[in-house]
Amino acid sequence: MSRSLEITITVCSWLCGIVLLGAVFTVIGYLLFKGFGTLGPQLLFGSVNPLEALLFKKQVFDGLFPAVVGTLLLVILSVGIAIPIGITSGVYMAEYANGGVKKIFSLLFDILASIPSIVVGLFGFSLAVFLHRHFSEKIYPSLLISSLALAFLVLPYIIRTTQIALETLPRETRLTALALGATKLQNIFYVLIPKSLSGIISGVILAIGRCAEDTAVIMLTGVVASAGVPKSLLANYEALPFYIYYISSQYMNAEELSSGYGAAIVLLGICAVLFLFAFMIQKGLAYRALYRA
Amino acid sequence: MDKSIKIRTKNVFFSYQNNRVLNDISVEFREHTLTAIVGPSGIGKSTFLMTLNRLWESIPGAAMKGNVEIRFDGAFQDIYLPSYSLTSLRRSVGMVFQTPNPLPMSIYRNVAFPLKLAGFKKKDYIDHKVEEALTRAYLWDEVKDRIRDDAFTLSGGQQQRLCIARTLIMEPQILLLDEPTSSLDTESGRIIEELLISLKERCTLLVVSHYREQVKRIADTVLEISDGHFIPEGAIPASPESAE
Amino acid sequence: MLGKITERLFFICATISATITILIFGFMVFLGFPLIKGGQFFHILTQPWLPDHNLYGIYPMVIGTVFIASLGVVLAFPLSIGCASLISVIDGGIFSRILRRVVQMMTGIPTVIYGFVGLFLLVPFVRELFQGGSGMCVLSASVVLAILVAPTMILFFVDSFESVPKSYMQAVDSLGGSKVQKLIYIVIPGSWSGIMTGLVLSLGRAFGDTLIALMIAGNAVQSPSSLLDSARTLTAHIALVIASDYESPEFKSIFACGIVLYVFTTLLVVLVRSFGYASRRNSE
Repeated sequence: MSRSLEITITVCSWLCGIVLLGAVFTVIGYLLFKGFGTLGPQLLFGSVNPLEALLFKKQVFDGLFPAVVGTLLLVILSVGIAIPIGITSGVYMAEYANGGVKKIFSLLFDILASIPSIVVGLFGFSLAVFLHRHFSEKIYPSLLISSLALAFLVLPYIIRTTQIALETLPRETRLTALALGATKLQNIFYVLIPKSLSGIISGVILAIGRCAEDTAVIMLTGVVASAGVPKSLLANYEALPFYIYYISSQYMNAEELSSGYGAAIVLLGICAVLFLFAFMIQKGLAYRALYRA
Repeated sequence: MDKSIKIRTKNVFFSYQNNRVLNDISVEFREHTLTAIVGPSGIGKSTFLMTLNRLWESIPGAAMKGNVEIRFDGAFQDIYLPSYSLTSLRRSVGMVFQTPNPLPMSIYRNVAFPLKLAGFKKKDYIDHKVEEALTRAYLWDEVKDRIRDDAFTLSGGQQQRLCIARTLIMEPQILLLDEPTSSLDTESGRIIEELLISLKERCTLLVVSHYREQVKRIADTVLEISDGHFIPEGAIPASPESAE
Repeated sequence: MLGKITERLFFICATISATITILIFGFMVFLGFPLIKGGQFFHILTQPWLPDHNLYGIYPMVIGTVFIASLGVVLAFPLSIGCASLISVIDGGIFSRILRRVVQMMTGIPTVIYGFVGLFLLVPFVRELFQGGSGMCVLSASVVLAILVAPTMILFFVDSFESVPKSYMQAVDSLGGSKVQKLIYIVIPGSWSGIMTGLVLSLGRAFGDTLIALMIAGNAVQSPSSLLDSARTLTAHIALVIASDYESPEFKSIFACGIVLYVFTTLLVVLVRSFGYASRRNSE
């Protein structure tokens, strides 16, 4: 290989690295530049007193507060639904499933993980229609339906990370409690799950992030641009990512556009905090797990 | 012994992750000899070999102090000078590892690989060099009919000879071998021992070994490294009692 | 006894999860049934969208999706190989450590943010550069899509590169090979299956993306014939039409889109599995 070819390849890969860094810093820098000025209590609470808004005494109409609350509720509900089903499914796959059943489930979970989010949203919408017709007239696309749909979206993440976390435990760890007379179930609850906790938790954090940022699913299952803080599970609601999308095409004046930038920064901030959290938990739990053993 | 000195190390200290591994090693090696490097288990012996081809520089956490000079073309050269080319160093100082490490290619391509790295392209030349190297490594007869087969289809002993052939193709003046037979069966090990003795006429060999009998069979000189120290001062002639 | 009950319970949960996958497809087919029944499905797939002529074919959207997603991946691929090479092989120092961290963080950036910035930064730029059109076109969408999928692709490639057996690297080092030689002769050839898998996975991701196409590609219902044409993807179509009248044939077309997307991603999953590559290998 000639010297000049080697140099060209080296230069090209450095260029790639620089271009990528440039792209991400442009994106974040631009947002900060444009939206930094809007940051402050007014962005979140509009003309309402923050304390009153937080205590739900007054509705906020010109601030991000309802959207933030909406996103938070979505995350809590969907992850709340997905965690029990996901972790148990993951445990099943890692500890109980065999042969044909395992293969089929594995394929189905892989497919579920790859389905485009808009299709999951479409499913959620169809589910709402179905339930509306055959179950109860009160069911419409709403917080409940969105949470369900989002739960379906992130279920594969939790299943997969739980399964992998369990499957990659070293042989000795798996056998120790059993050798002391523990049952399979005791082994799972007292040894295996605690040992794979950091892996499972990173799956949960992944799911949380996904729920916080998703737009496609909620667009089809009940999110609206202006609904205030939702009063019940069957009500419409607002969410940050949708607000950003909505503003991008429907803004009427410079102020509204600025609030869009502000919302983007808030959303980025939430994701950054989640990322940091995930990082710290991974380090912290690993530390503790080592010393507990 | 009137053979001239080929390698000279002075005050070599080595540490890995802040643990001292080599302490003040100052030794000399004469050309066309086979020196066995012995001593209790630990990483000192392998590390010492790596100071001679600067391979330790690819290992994070490793640090070295000291002087290593090798005589090329009549003059001693400091191989740690920043201007000294690693590539040319490693062509003149070949290394064979404890576990054979063929590359994921055919036998032919494995042996020809260093030529490819060096930019040689003429097929006739490469064919000739490959056959020559495999012959010198006592492997040609066994593989000549299946030279395009995957290198991993060879037995352990054959793979090791393949790695030796791969190193020989650039005609190194020094060969470093780190326990070359310890992952092999006795029979394969014997073949390699004979091979190493035959290579003395072309190279200077340093062989790390912890088999007493092997050392007796093949070494002209024995160098003992224990607890990072070189014991005793100066290279000593091989004899059954001191090879311990 | 308790053991048996809990095993049953676990099994039920797993079955529920697995059934959801099938249900999703089922609902799609059920609600799009009128289309399939009339044998019209194939027509829907290949016809243009001309409501005035009562034609609700999704062909333009299929082309739009293929065009935008493929171009996005084509742009992201060399960028990702370059970055992965830099991180794993060519540079082992501070820059590649920073780059790796940044790439990891990029995977957490919401899609809507890329769309937002793309809309207000890139689109005007493209408009200026090409002196015409609105800037909302295939090219702009593909560029932003490339930035979206690159981080995951890079991390995948880095994983593959770093799984190449250390003995090979040791051999090349001891023979005096340079970093670039190591990369080209050993690392990349040794990571083919990982590279292919990463490529296919990213293609699936690009196909399934909604927001970037929706915000940036223009959404005109036409088969794009050039990079600067406005186009609509299957995903954006679903998002746009969902607001229209439920009983209309327009509306039914989105289920056709859903079926196409579902089938396509399933095919990709099967393809990836055939590569036989474990997507994440944790070492003990």
